[in-house]
Amino acid sequence: MPIISIKDVSKLYGFGDATTVALDEVSIDVEAGEFVAVMGPSGSGKSTLMNIIGLLDRPTHGEYMLSNRYVSKLRSNQRAKMRRDKIGFVFQSFNLLPKLTVLDNVALPLMYRGVSTVKRLQRAEDVLDRVGLKDRQYFMPKALSGGQVQRAAIARALVGDPQIIIADEPTGNLDSASSLIVMELLSELHRTGNTIIMVTHNPEITRYADRVVYMHDGCIVHDQRTPVGEVPALAKKAMYVYPRKTEEDDLAGVSAMMDFRPEKPSTKKRKAKAQAKRRKAAKAKRSADA
Amino acid sequence: MHSGNFKVAYKTIRESRWQSSLTMFGIVVGIVSVVTIVSLGQGIKKQIIGEIKSVGSDLITVRAGKGVKRDTNGNIQKINPDFVYGFGSGTLNDRDVAIVEGSAGVKDATPIRLLNGSVIADGREYADGFVLGTNPSLPNLLQQKIEYGSYFSTGETARQVAVIGKTVAEQLFQENVPLGQVITIRGQDYIVRGVFEKFTSNPLGQGIDLNQAIFVPAPSLKEIAGTAAPVIRVLARPQNPNNAGNLASQISNSIKESHGGQDDTTVLLQSENLQVTSSVLDKLTGFIAAIAAISLVVGGIGIMNIMLVSVSERTREIGVRKAVGATNRQIRNQFMAEAIVLSVLGGVIGIFASFVVNFLIKVTTDLSPVITWPVVVIAAVVSISVGIIFGTIPAIKAARKDPIDALRVGN
Repeated sequence: MPIISIKDVSKLYGFGDATTVALDEVSIDVEAGEFVAVMGPSGSGKSTLMNIIGLLDRPTHGEYMLSNRYVSKLRSNQRAKMRRDKIGFVFQSFNLLPKLTVLDNVALPLMYRGVSTVKRLQRAEDVLDRVGLKDRQYFMPKALSGGQVQRAAIARALVGDPQIIIADEPTGNLDSASSLIVMELLSELHRTGNTIIMVTHNPEITRYADRVVYMHDGCIVHDQRTPVGEVPALAKKAMYVYPRKTEEDDLAGVSAMMDFRPEKPSTKKRKAKAQAKRRKAAKAKRSADA
Repeated sequence: MHSGNFKVAYKTIRESRWQSSLTMFGIVVGIVSVVTIVSLGQGIKKQIIGEIKSVGSDLITVRAGKGVKRDTNGNIQKINPDFVYGFGSGTLNDRDVAIVEGSAGVKDATPIRLLNGSVIADGREYADGFVLGTNPSLPNLLQQKIEYGSYFSTGETARQVAVIGKTVAEQLFQENVPLGQVITIRGQDYIVRGVFEKFTSNPLGQGIDLNQAIFVPAPSLKEIAGTAAPVIRVLARPQNPNNAGNLASQISNSIKESHGGQDDTTVLLQSENLQVTSSVLDKLTGFIAAIAAISLVVGGIGIMNIMLVSVSERTREIGVRKAVGATNRQIRNQFMAEAIVLSVLGGVIGIFASFVVNFLIKVTTDLSPVITWPVVVIAAVVSISVGIIFGTIPAIKAARKDPIDALRVGN
């Protein structure tokens, strides 16, 4: 039984001519204990997929089953609780709260579970010990190096014993030495049975994953299992096919994701528009086939 | 709400000290102004009530017009505020005076006749005063001492002698000895034979300063002024102070009977006078306090403003907290806690500052404000409610932020 089961999930932003398809009927199953690396150019829908898997967002269409529970229709508070209990996030930009100590940052998810202060600080200390930052627990995040901050962020993701760890370009803001340490840490977590889904632009670090998924234009174009420690051939090629992230890509990605995002059209309207668009697309396809 | 929220809130507030202290200042000013105004009102009330009490609570005052509404037990229900300040309108007549004087159980009684207008002495005119015609028992009734000379006696009621208030003596005769001097009232010469000690209270009504009065025998005033010197009050004191209530209602009934059953006079005990005065003072204080309370609202808006700024500054933090599993309610509570901590801190500082201001007022002026516990409690409750009321909107705004958008901010 896969821990994540996504079936025909689409995510649309905007409406009318400005509709952007961020995810186009994506289906993927992830088994417990897998380390999935998701690759793809900016604007290919990786982040959107991560947001949906991480329950930060809801799919426009399709079904999402997380550990045997349908979660695609959950309200934001129910999603928050699922996030709290089942998912740990590691962000590219670390996202530790600058005004809290490392220890408090790591203990934060437990606070929202209602764990008592003493217990959660103990637990946080244990986890920090595991990532090798026990001696830095009372430091403020800004006093740590990038690699250390990211390890603290991983500790925060781990502290609640999540079923899935979602890492969105965890090494994107790190130098290669720090990247290595962070990746070794994630790899060790994988070995101890954690399920990790990681977005990356860097083909080199796919060597830590045992499955690599390629996305393009909101679709999964390739999905392969690879032995841990090997960079798959396609990932190497992807280095050249998909240019590494530049500022221009960044802007393109942002504009694709944000600029056309409307304030908040009603769900009904959105659905109707999406349906109309799909019908139109199907028609166009049929005429092309003919 | 989790107690941890308040700890975090306190920490956050300490970290943005300038912002927070300016915000709190709004609340502090609001609390200080409300507490100070109410305590000033209380102080003035205490002072006035003390003065009224000094006259003796068994003094009975009869005056024209219907100023109070009583329930069936004779307790005052409603009070006409006109009854507290000035002489009031409407007059009594000689028959009413006779009824009061003739009532069984009355020890002393006097009509008060009023003649407005200026008096002349030494070629100097004194226009601020007024002439009151009374019986010789007035000093006893008001429990007021004569400083120089003496009050006129029963045998002198038809003679043209006068006793003057302290202000009159100072204004008309300055450094000269007033005794034996001549005052001209409506062309008639009156010889000054006494000067009152300074009146510290206003037993005839607020705003009537008896230090500015010239007291003459009532019969002689009636003679020179006729109906121009109407009876505005009749004062009486019972033989037995405990019987004052009964005597008052007895007088009231007798006058009502003689007026053909029409209830057009008011008989008040001094203790009731107290009630009348304090009710008017309370209203006044309440009114001014309400105006001062506007500043509390302004302070509350300050809190709302700062919280809104804080929410948008900390959008990313909200995103992170939501990503690690904070529900909307938990985010809302965090920001509510901040607003509440801000306003409670402001309230505590405000209450403390009120005591300081209070002390300064006491030291530098002759006012004596009184801070009572209810005022402090109300101020505290108000400051907390301001926090809750004005913290709600920003907190809801924070809680409703979309985590994805929030995480993207500043990236």
